[in-house]
Amino acid sequence: MPRLYSGVRERKHFWAAMGFLALNLTGFLIFTFGPVLLSLYMSFTNWTLRRSVDLQWVGLRNYQELLSDSNFWFYLYNTLYFMLGIPFAVVGSLVLANLLVDNMLLKRKKLRLRIANVLIIVGLLTCGFLLVGGQKDLALILGVIYIGAAAGIIWGSVSYRTMLYVPSFASGVATIILWQQIFNPYYGMANNILGELLAWVNLDVDLPTWLNSTKSLLGFLPLPATFSNGGVGLGAREAIMIMGFWMGIGGNNMILYIASIASIPEDLYEAADIDGAGSVGKFWHITVPSVAPTTFFIAIMATIGGLQGGFQFAKIMTEGGPAGTTTTLAYYIYTKGFVEQELGYAAAISWILFIIVFALTLVNWKYGNRKMEAAS
Amino acid sequence: MSTPWSQTPAWRSAMVFLKFFGVSVLCGIMFLPFIWMICTAFKSSGEVEGAHFWPELFSPDNIRIVLRQIPDPFTKVFVNLHLAKWIFNSILVAAWVTTLQVFTSCMAAYAFSRIQWRGRDKIFLLYLATMMIPGMVLTIPQYQIMVSLNLVNTYSGLIIPAAFSAFGTFMLRQFMLGIPQSYDEAAEIDGAGHCQIFLDVILPLAKPGMITLAIFTFLGNYRNLIWPLIMIKDAHLRTVPIGLLSFQGQYGAQVELLMSATLICLIPLILMFIIMQKQLVRGISLSGGVKG
Repeated sequence: MPRLYSGVRERKHFWAAMGFLALNLTGFLIFTFGPVLLSLYMSFTNWTLRRSVDLQWVGLRNYQELLSDSNFWFYLYNTLYFMLGIPFAVVGSLVLANLLVDNMLLKRKKLRLRIANVLIIVGLLTCGFLLVGGQKDLALILGVIYIGAAAGIIWGSVSYRTMLYVPSFASGVATIILWQQIFNPYYGMANNILGELLAWVNLDVDLPTWLNSTKSLLGFLPLPATFSNGGVGLGAREAIMIMGFWMGIGGNNMILYIASIASIPEDLYEAADIDGAGSVGKFWHITVPSVAPTTFFIAIMATIGGLQGGFQFAKIMTEGGPAGTTTTLAYYIYTKGFVEQELGYAAAISWILFIIVFALTLVNWKYGNRKMEAAS
Repeated sequence: MSTPWSQTPAWRSAMVFLKFFGVSVLCGIMFLPFIWMICTAFKSSGEVEGAHFWPELFSPDNIRIVLRQIPDPFTKVFVNLHLAKWIFNSILVAAWVTTLQVFTSCMAAYAFSRIQWRGRDKIFLLYLATMMIPGMVLTIPQYQIMVSLNLVNTYSGLIIPAAFSAFGTFMLRQFMLGIPQSYDEAAEIDGAGHCQIFLDVILPLAKPGMITLAIFTFLGNYRNLIWPLIMIKDAHLRTVPIGLLSFQGQYGAQVELLMSATLICLIPLILMFIIMQKQLVRGISLSGGVKG
């Protein structure tokens, strides 16, 4: 009898499960799985939003066109170029996390309050003198640094973590518009500060025109003529990478690293202390290998996100320009699909993008896992 | 044995000082864009091209123009910035999506984690596989589906497709797998059915996971750009990102107004940050698979 019992039981379980799953599964089939199939089908047709064109099965034509589309290769290059910034941002997050992992740098409360008092008084005095003396900008910037330092001493690293997280939390249309203005070559903050610095060291060079410039740091490469190469220098792509660095360095990656470093057993560091290791040695030989799983997770997520990214920046700051240098594959799909209304062709690009994402994730997975086994 | 130089008290306090100094300066640099934004928002239109931060006279006029208290002095009309309406739309959409998504995801997660049934792992694998697919692949046919359902340019069109999430299901399933099986076995012996186990045992224990998912979903939808950009045509349905983008299109040349508008649009976000930051930090650590 046990078999019959388990059969009835299993059937009962099946219907119970379906009851719980029904709503989600329906939505999943209509809005996720259905669209996946539909998009695959679209990529083999001439599907457009214009009603005048008859729907036709075109086989692999979209894909063939795509591979000989010089724009596609250009935009793929742009996407990969933007991703070169990711390792720097991740290393920055790790270094920051390592600095901010201890909750309190000073253990004694009285000492903390005394130092904070001194800081506030010194800060008020310096800023006051600077204000009276007409150096208002310097007073403003120093004032913010003093406030940050005082908060950091009173409340510990939490206040720094919070302050550094704000740019990433606030990232969105508003901050992207803000950075667009910062990079304005005439009145933007970037060139204001750069100009002051260059004048200070008596260097007479042309300031970059940032978002209006097709230059790039890899401009010395013998790129094809269709890649709008403007030579070596700081251009639109660098501007966007600087903004990405600002948004990314104190964000989720830093928080992940802090949690990860905090869970490293203390005795590893104590053993290193006995061996006389310096802080750099401890960072390199204990922290970095111990957070390898987190690095691996971040690397995979960043690769997936980076390949699909750049839409917001292109849409808000540059409309893909100048001369297409800030158009990524994601923005290309958007313009092809929703501006030029060629949904079939756009679907084909998105599937090629999927294949690239999938292949790179696979490589990451294999290589990363092996590295992690070697490290442990 | 003499202590190594890296462990002498003087060296240590020097390092602590250096740390404080470095991080404080970095915080200052990170906040420079915001300082510049605030300063520019209070400058007059003649002053924005100057190289200095500090406005000569702090004039609240730009803020009042952006808040529609006084008209734009050049065109003599009130600007097209309906912040209250935009925030209302953003919050309405994000709140509906969050409620529906957490509801559908936790029910599905229960079926995937606590009930044994044939075909479970195959269907779950299907969910997992779709998580790898770029959002852009889905956006195009989703739009087509919305066109055929006549939901373009409606609130429902913004809410319904986002109410079901493979990621949310996956996350809550992982979370529920961490709840010991013996809890529901004990409840089953006491005669509880699946509904009771779900409501009385699993849901209370899965609360941290649900809160994390809710925060991520809410923020993600509050600031979502591409889907409302494609779906929304009417001005009265605009969410904050779309509204601000349209404002940029109209007043992009008037930097002081643009900066006032971005400043004002950032304020609700900063408020949300202050309210949610603790849960948020815990949630990020949770989702990355490390204990915080």
